[in-house]
Amino acid sequence: MSAAVTVAERIGSLVPEMIVFGGSVVVSVTGLSPKRSVRAATPFLSVLTLIAALVALTKGWGGSTTAGLLLPGVGPFARGLILLMGVGGAALAAGLVDRRYEEAVARGVAPFDPIRVVRGEFFAFMLLSICGALLIPGSPDLIWLFLALELTSLPTYIMVAMSRGTRRAQEAAVKYFFLGALSTAILVYGFALIYGSTGSLQLTEIRAALAQQSAMGGIDAVGTIGLLLVAIALCFKLAAAPMHFYAPDVYEGAAAPVTGFLSFLPKMAGFSALLLVVDAAGWGGMSNAGNGLPPALQATLWMVTVLTMTLGNVGALLQRSAKRMLAYSSIAHSGYMLMAIVAGPELGLPALLLYLLAYGVNNNAIFGALSGIERNGQEVEKVEDLAGLARRHPGAATWLAVGSASLMGMPPFLGFWAKLVLFIAVVKSGHTPLVVIAAVNSVVSVLYYLRLAGVPILAPSGAAAEGVVKTPSAGPRLAAVVFGVGVLVLPLFMNRLVSQIEKAAGVPQKMGAAAQPDALQAASR
Amino acid sequence: MTPLLAQAGLTQGVTVALVLSAALFTIGLIGFLVRRNMILMFLCTELMLQAASIAFIAFGRMREDTGGQTFVIFILTVAAAEAALALGLVVLLYRRRETLSAEAWQELHE
Repeated sequence: MSAAVTVAERIGSLVPEMIVFGGSVVVSVTGLSPKRSVRAATPFLSVLTLIAALVALTKGWGGSTTAGLLLPGVGPFARGLILLMGVGGAALAAGLVDRRYEEAVARGVAPFDPIRVVRGEFFAFMLLSICGALLIPGSPDLIWLFLALELTSLPTYIMVAMSRGTRRAQEAAVKYFFLGALSTAILVYGFALIYGSTGSLQLTEIRAALAQQSAMGGIDAVGTIGLLLVAIALCFKLAAAPMHFYAPDVYEGAAAPVTGFLSFLPKMAGFSALLLVVDAAGWGGMSNAGNGLPPALQATLWMVTVLTMTLGNVGALLQRSAKRMLAYSSIAHSGYMLMAIVAGPELGLPALLLYLLAYGVNNNAIFGALSGIERNGQEVEKVEDLAGLARRHPGAATWLAVGSASLMGMPPFLGFWAKLVLFIAVVKSGHTPLVVIAAVNSVVSVLYYLRLAGVPILAPSGAAAEGVVKTPSAGPRLAAVVFGVGVLVLPLFMNRLVSQIEKAAGVPQKMGAAAQPDALQAASR
Repeated sequence: MTPLLAQAGLTQGVTVALVLSAALFTIGLIGFLVRRNMILMFLCTELMLQAASIAFIAFGRMREDTGGQTFVIFILTVAAAEAALALGLVVLLYRRRETLSAEAWQELHE
């Protein structure tokens, strides 16, 4: 039980988080330095902080204690993934905030005024948000989970408002904030009902209490409503129906690097939290096909899954703005990933982790390509404006095409393998109708992904496309190259990757598949 | 009242508190959906958070467990952080448009 874990042990398992937190304090100071070179080093320091945290995690300073935790195997993998994608996010945003002002200062037009620079704060908020996401997978109780979720989302609202000085960015920030506040309230009410039903805030104790209720004829009404409210509230983080409608507006209003950050980190945080909640609700049981969720929750998740992927893909078809299209695509991918939750832990969990990895890598490659180009100092918004990009900027067009093809699920890119593993897992768990719907959706998605990949290469360039130039900062292009190469190279290591992920996901298999490794060993003997 | 809750010792006072909490939550949710003034919309989400706080205290009393009250302290802290953020954003928007109506902000749409 959790009582066996001392406070010192618990704090000792937070070394990566503490490094990230320390980094956020440092960058908020360096961002205010009167020296221009120190200010310019702020994004670089953020990247270094995240890499340091990643090294600390791989050295095993992320804690080895598993007592009192649900799904302890997922923790290190999820935290590594968050840090890796955070490095990409920080690189994407390298030249974003304060650019005009810094240019004016460099030319000597404006005097340096520390009140007017916000770059340090921007990267501090980004690191704080990553710190919050890192805390989620290892949550021992509901208070920790609640605070970690809030630490993830509160800084992102400010990042959206800061990302551009435009009215649209501010409108996006307010929309995002109000719906975030609503989802927080629903989440907390759900937690209160779960607490009322089980009498505990510890996730392990909640799981035991809910399992006992299930065995005695079903989870009571209070607990069921609590679980449903929490699931609906987490849909906001995932950008899943019925809480998805903010996504297109927010993604369009925020600057492209922040959009790239928002389409991965909150989703990752949401799935980490949802995994804990469904595991507490008896995910590892065997009463349904593939999992032991209470029927009401299972049915809700099934409907949310279908609605999310359908609304996402149909919505994306109608878009002219590249970022709105990617917002709907992000909704659709949440839908695909939710299938893994419906499929149950044994098959679904490794598939979900692999899909999150693939989605994050694709996402950074695409947004790196989009953030690396501009026209008249503005982002390139419409897909038509990308026409002829391949001739002028072959790099950006290549990574855009690679990223789109991979999100589409075209072999041999990374996205294809992730989708394949996921679809196989869902079929094996007996949810064939879901896979049929997902396959139809995938076919629909080909239409708009082909447009995003094909217009830059095939369409003749018009007047609007001529003015497209590279942004001064190399950060986004570097991120596009690194993650784009990842999309191409990672499939070569697919076997090792899958076995690593299965090892990470192995722990929750104890309920259904405890006998399996022994059987395998016996067979190999 | 379900038999399970009765077994757990749901007393009269706790029932009243839970009904109050459910009512507050519903009022907050409806208010959020129908109101268009940004300050009122924010207050509605606060109302929902406080509904959760009351539920936590009531359930803590019912279970004779201090966890519920502990959670409430953290809810208050987060609500304060959210309020600071909300006021900052609302002031920023008010300077641009001189109105608090959410309907004045519709640049982002299909």
